[in-house]
Amino acid sequence: MTNDFEPIIVGFLCNWCSYEGADAAGRARQCYPSNLRVIRVMCSGRVDPQFVFQAFKQGADGVLILGCHPGDCHYKDGNRQALKRYTLIKSMLDAFGIEQDRLRLDWISAAEQEKFVQVVSEMTERVRQLGPLMPRANPLKKLDSNRSTRIENDMRFLQRKHKKISTKARKIESTK
Amino acid sequence: MSTVRIGVFICECGPNIKNAVDLDGLSRFARGLDNVVVAERFALLCSLEGKDTLAKEIQRHRLTRVVIAACSPKEHEHTFKQVMAQAGLNSFLLQIANIREQCAWVISDKTRATQKAQAILEAAVNRVARHEPLEIREIACLPDVVVVGAGMAGISAALTLAQKDRKVHLVEKAPCIGGKVARYEDLFPNLECASCVLDPLLDAVLHHPNIQLWTLSEVKNVLGYFGNYTVEIITKARHVDLQTCIGCGACVEVCPVSVQNEYNEGLDTRKAVYLPYPGALPNLAAIDETHCLRWQSQDCESCQQACPFGSIDYQETDRNMSLKAGAVVIATGFDLFDVTKAPQYGYGKIDNIYTALEFERLVNANGPTQGKLILKDGRVPESIVLIHCVGSRTPRYHQHCSGVCCSYLFKFAHQIRKKIPDATITSLYTDMCLPGKEAQPFSDKIAQKTGLKKIRIKDPAAVTITQDHGRPRVTYTDACDASKSVVADMVVLAPAITGTKDASSLGTLFDIPLGGSGFFVEEQTSLAPVSTPIEGVFVAGCAQGPKEIQAAVSQGQAAAGKILSQLVPGQKRALEAMTAAVDTELCSGCKICLGLCPYKAIVFDDTQQVAGIEEVLCRGCGICAATCPSGAISARHFTDAQLGAEIESLARHTGRENRS
Repeated sequence: MTNDFEPIIVGFLCNWCSYEGADAAGRARQCYPSNLRVIRVMCSGRVDPQFVFQAFKQGADGVLILGCHPGDCHYKDGNRQALKRYTLIKSMLDAFGIEQDRLRLDWISAAEQEKFVQVVSEMTERVRQLGPLMPRANPLKKLDSNRSTRIENDMRFLQRKHKKISTKARKIESTK
Repeated sequence: MSTVRIGVFICECGPNIKNAVDLDGLSRFARGLDNVVVAERFALLCSLEGKDTLAKEIQRHRLTRVVIAACSPKEHEHTFKQVMAQAGLNSFLLQIANIREQCAWVISDKTRATQKAQAILEAAVNRVARHEPLEIREIACLPDVVVVGAGMAGISAALTLAQKDRKVHLVEKAPCIGGKVARYEDLFPNLECASCVLDPLLDAVLHHPNIQLWTLSEVKNVLGYFGNYTVEIITKARHVDLQTCIGCGACVEVCPVSVQNEYNEGLDTRKAVYLPYPGALPNLAAIDETHCLRWQSQDCESCQQACPFGSIDYQETDRNMSLKAGAVVIATGFDLFDVTKAPQYGYGKIDNIYTALEFERLVNANGPTQGKLILKDGRVPESIVLIHCVGSRTPRYHQHCSGVCCSYLFKFAHQIRKKIPDATITSLYTDMCLPGKEAQPFSDKIAQKTGLKKIRIKDPAAVTITQDHGRPRVTYTDACDASKSVVADMVVLAPAITGTKDASSLGTLFDIPLGGSGFFVEEQTSLAPVSTPIEGVFVAGCAQGPKEIQAAVSQGQAAAGKILSQLVPGQKRALEAMTAAVDTELCSGCKICLGLCPYKAIVFDDTQQVAGIEEVLCRGCGICAATCPSGAISARHFTDAQLGAEIESLARHTGRENRS
């Protein structure tokens, strides 16, 4: 593995906090690795698991999802949906033999330019260590056949689980 | 895609981008991309000259889509959208490639910066080719407003809102208005008489031609969206004619039923037909069905016979009303922490321990003792202990500081001293919270004038009150860790201010979450304190968090200001164009999306078994699109195809030698 490997990191940044945080780093002229390629989404909750797999499949060595801090989501709790999906995608990465560290979710507020730079730097460094994803026997071929059914099933499972948890939480809350 | 003609306009941004990125190289690169018919660099696109040139170039090259490679879309997307519209293009056929904030300014190496700029630009070009024109729809709005709660905040909002072309429905649960403040004697910080300050305001509400007051009323259901709400309320039968009753009290005198008077905090009794308290406005009697003998199958007609004006009507029934309004203000006030949940304070078991609200009634001239500060047995107390932070600032009960208790306890000290010149007044506090320009000078003055004895204690939650020969004994740990106690004739507790008990059901109706301690959650703590996550529903006063009267009034007026500026009579409201859309052919009817929409904008068609988007409610977050297992929901302007084009361009982008 060579240290001069320059990974490509695709980042999904939410419009309200993280994209602003990235802009703030720019306004402060804070240099960070040029490896990050940003896609602006309105909410981190918009990040469909298929986007992550598509990015890996089409050449990304790492994927970063950045959203508002819990409780600060512009759309109430879209970032919580992002977190749920992230957990799901992580477990699926294992199944495809992709290192979990190639995907990272973090919360960056509009004011956290320092944290943004730190997260991008750490992520770039980590993926640099992991090396390129593509040259190996590409595990992502499996994705096409498996994607829809797997994601669908897992999604439904998570959905049911989430519903149970929140109903339980509401019950506990109401008995207080 | 043969008709797609993309123009790429690269901004030098003075030296900002020019010096960091090889712009000639970038222009050449852009010209080689699919569908690009022109790619040029310009000195400063956001200048008047730049915008003018841009509009001309769009027309000269008959462009159908535009990519601007310049600063962040946060900075000038709006500017360039306007130019698009001027040049006759739909403003959504534009994509900004942010090569300044996220490229030129953060990469010191020019080659790398140029490579990244190329990737960003290519992604933008491939994305814009998939853009679709979107329409910004407008809807007509109702200027009228429903205000829930006629306390200080609600009244302030109502009076500010009720103007020529606007009607305000003021919905109040109680038979009278003015909230809790109307039952105080004096007001912090000027110690003005509360009714002197308040009555003219209440009078203005009662006689305002544009304020429709609904007393004894509660919200039962809410439908609609910002601009067009239907608020369904239930108005309990008062059984007293509003037009003819003059509040003389003849009915009250003859009523044989006696029940605890909630308007005096249960400290005395009232009749089943009652006026809440002397001076309550509107000055009208009301019959309480739960206690009146007629509703216990008895044949009492005493009040009807006693009424000189024939105002009593036993036949009246509860009414359901549908109020139409463009916006809603929730101003439902607060409740105090239920001190019986902290049994160490002995409240409810030991005599002469009062909460702050009970004390307010005790010292009020219209209260149960006509303002005489006396003990249960009628004696005048010689010693009174005031305890701060009851159930607040502790993880055991409520973590927040109510922020006003320290101030009102000083007011109480003043009131006690005025009524009993030689009583010992002791206050047990942990920290004094006296913010703002009034509280500290106020407390200093009163502490000096009343000779208030202040004892700093360690933990208010660890205070215990026991009975000592019929008197309350307060045991506490002082600041030096010594356990001490004081016996007093009367103890006044300052319980935490919390949201009201029915806040959660109201929150469910309006779909507004409640935060800790039952307060409504504001949209943004610092910058949108009276807005809620639901458009067109505002929150003011103690429903939003504990606060003094001045702040509650400010919030009521602020909420009114927001509505006045957003719901202008005769003006339409623009809707979000970037909404979600359901392809009903693909929808499997699984309903997963329904529970995930933060705005309940997804409706389910039971006959077709498919989901649909209520576009007036959708705010375009795209959560549903990411969740739909059938791929039936698309997020306009952030479609799978558009984002997929970006992903593809960015993930596989060249400029990297060691990629094979």
